[in-house]
Amino acid sequence: METLNRTLETIGKGVGGVVGKIYQAGRDTIDVVIRTVLPFIAFVGLIVGIVNGTGIGELLAQTLAPLASSLGGLLLMSVIIALPVLSPVLGPGAVIAQVIGTLLGTQFGEGNIQPQYALPALFAINPQVGCDFIPVGLSLGEAEPETVEVGVPAILFSRMITGPAAVVIAYFASFGLYA
Amino acid sequence: MLQAIETGAEYFIGIFQEGAAWFEGVVVGIVPLLIILLTGVNALIAFIGQERINRFAELAGREGWQYSFIRYLALPVVAVVALTNPMAYTLGTFVPERNKPAFYDSAVSFVHPPLGILPHVNPGELFVWLGIATGIASAGFALTPLAVRYFLVGLVVIFMRGLVTQFIVDRMMARRDAANAATA
Repeated sequence: METLNRTLETIGKGVGGVVGKIYQAGRDTIDVVIRTVLPFIAFVGLIVGIVNGTGIGELLAQTLAPLASSLGGLLLMSVIIALPVLSPVLGPGAVIAQVIGTLLGTQFGEGNIQPQYALPALFAINPQVGCDFIPVGLSLGEAEPETVEVGVPAILFSRMITGPAAVVIAYFASFGLYA
Repeated sequence: MLQAIETGAEYFIGIFQEGAAWFEGVVVGIVPLLIILLTGVNALIAFIGQERINRFAELAGREGWQYSFIRYLALPVVAVVALTNPMAYTLGTFVPERNKPAFYDSAVSFVHPPLGILPHVNPGELFVWLGIATGIASAGFALTPLAVRYFLVGLVVIFMRGLVTQFIVDRMMARRDAANAATA
């Protein structure tokens, strides 16, 4: 009887723990969706509406689509975004990358840009990732102030090389995609 | 006159209808799957526990180039997938001081490439992936091939980025130490 009771208790606690964790995961998820995901979808939705509804879209199509339709154009885009003066400014919340991505997306959707350029484009819009966050990110890893002093310029310079390099790698990796 | 006002009103509301149609497509087509997937992965991470992740991170702290693969490839991936943005960077604690910038560079560069498969890593910045992805989907192409390649190319890019940044940091630190030695 004693053992049976103990077994039941263990099982009960175990199941309770599992259910509790999954329920908490659900709560965290809904929190994130309502606080950050849906507001951003609303924000982007308004931009899409303005861009498509007013005809700015046509104008953007004429400038962005050719830029994103060749390796050279995508490289140019990544070099500009990775400039050490620009990259920390363009970083916060990845808003710029998300807006450019969505604008390019509408062009992919209308067939103005060939789908095989999607992969290099994903890297071309994003060479600045995290450049606004370097000192904070390094402090989260408990780096000394002297390391931060060297780390910030080192990462910004590195992006000038690795940003365009990522586009080239993605370009070659997209052979056979949507062909 | 009335005609002009009507045309104007139609143009005005048309802008918002255009946005609403897009909003509906994303909320109906993407958000439900996202919610269930996020719940699953969040629960899984809660089961694995922070302690086990820390123990793995200590491996990356060993000196020596042969641990580069752990420092700039395995650890950033585990950090981002298990701890997500921005908690992932706390694992830099386990990395030697001179490797911290390169580890950060490598980890932060991986907060978007998994988004097509594991959106929980950075749900707040989903549209870095989804912006282009929705366009590709509406052109009638399957997204999975693109999502998988984005993930795989991401692996190559973060490793390369870690190595390049480490190279630059080493140069800069050596120059700084030489300058300090000269003044001392």
